[in-house]
Amino acid sequence: MNKDGDKVLVIPCSGIGKVHGLISREAAYLATDEVAPEHTDVVCLALLVREDEETLAKVRAHPCITIDGCGKACAQKNVELAGGQVVDAIQVGKVLTKHRGSQPGSGSELTEEGWAICREIAEAVAEEAERIRAREEVA
Amino acid sequence: MAAEMNKTTKVGIISCSGEEIPEGTISRSAVRRVLESLRPHDAVTLCLPLFLAGNEGERNFARTHPVITIDGCDKQCAKWGTEKHGGPVARGLVVTNILGGEAVGCARSSRTRGPADEEAVRRVAEQIAAAVDELLEEDHLAEGD
Repeated sequence: MNKDGDKVLVIPCSGIGKVHGLISREAAYLATDEVAPEHTDVVCLALLVREDEETLAKVRAHPCITIDGCGKACAQKNVELAGGQVVDAIQVGKVLTKHRGSQPGSGSELTEEGWAICREIAEAVAEEAERIRAREEVA
Repeated sequence: MAAEMNKTTKVGIISCSGEEIPEGTISRSAVRRVLESLRPHDAVTLCLPLFLAGNEGERNFARTHPVITIDGCDKQCAKWGTEKHGGPVARGLVVTNILGGEAVGCARSSRTRGPADEEAVRRVAEQIAAAVDELLEEDHLAEGD
């Protein structure tokens, strides 16, 4: 798991219209750059959908965690369509229901509350990546 | 503009938002700036993941309105997806072409955004806004307005 080739892939939707997409994107960066950089890596969703061979091979060979803004679950659906294994599918909309009344920001900028929600999601991603690592070690 | 295009048109903009590279973040931020500040009444954005996932509303808009794609790199995923599912794009912009190379000193995450990111977003946003103006002008000329 500590080798680059054994990382869990994190694929956000990055939906551009609402804050949900920005949260998905920034949560993915927080997970892969700061919270669990040794165990996770980010992948371009557009490159996957474009059927880029290198990206397809990577997604098929590694467990994937998707972070979608809304229930349309574009990232999850596209990873599954590409033949990838989605081990956890996070939806920002559902996370936000636990933060009723919060003001996370806009599609362009996050507030402190928005960043805190990103961190919560990033930590959930890191925990799932750690669970996968532990299972693989046992196996 | 093609005859089947909407007469009182808005321009659609589709960003790649490529997550692996700073140029993807620049493309996304520049599109948001065009929509919020530079051309708020002339352009709308289409969500690329939704478009590629098969959303008919997004695809129908792309078939009936001029569309600008803005890609972070020369793989041009946004242009590829739009042409595959919606038809030819009116303009296909690439961030690395606009900036004259990779976005040196720029970051993927907005939490570490600095002056280099701001300058790159400004330059790309201005190119997109100019393309919006060109397309609307072409549309007016075609309609004889």
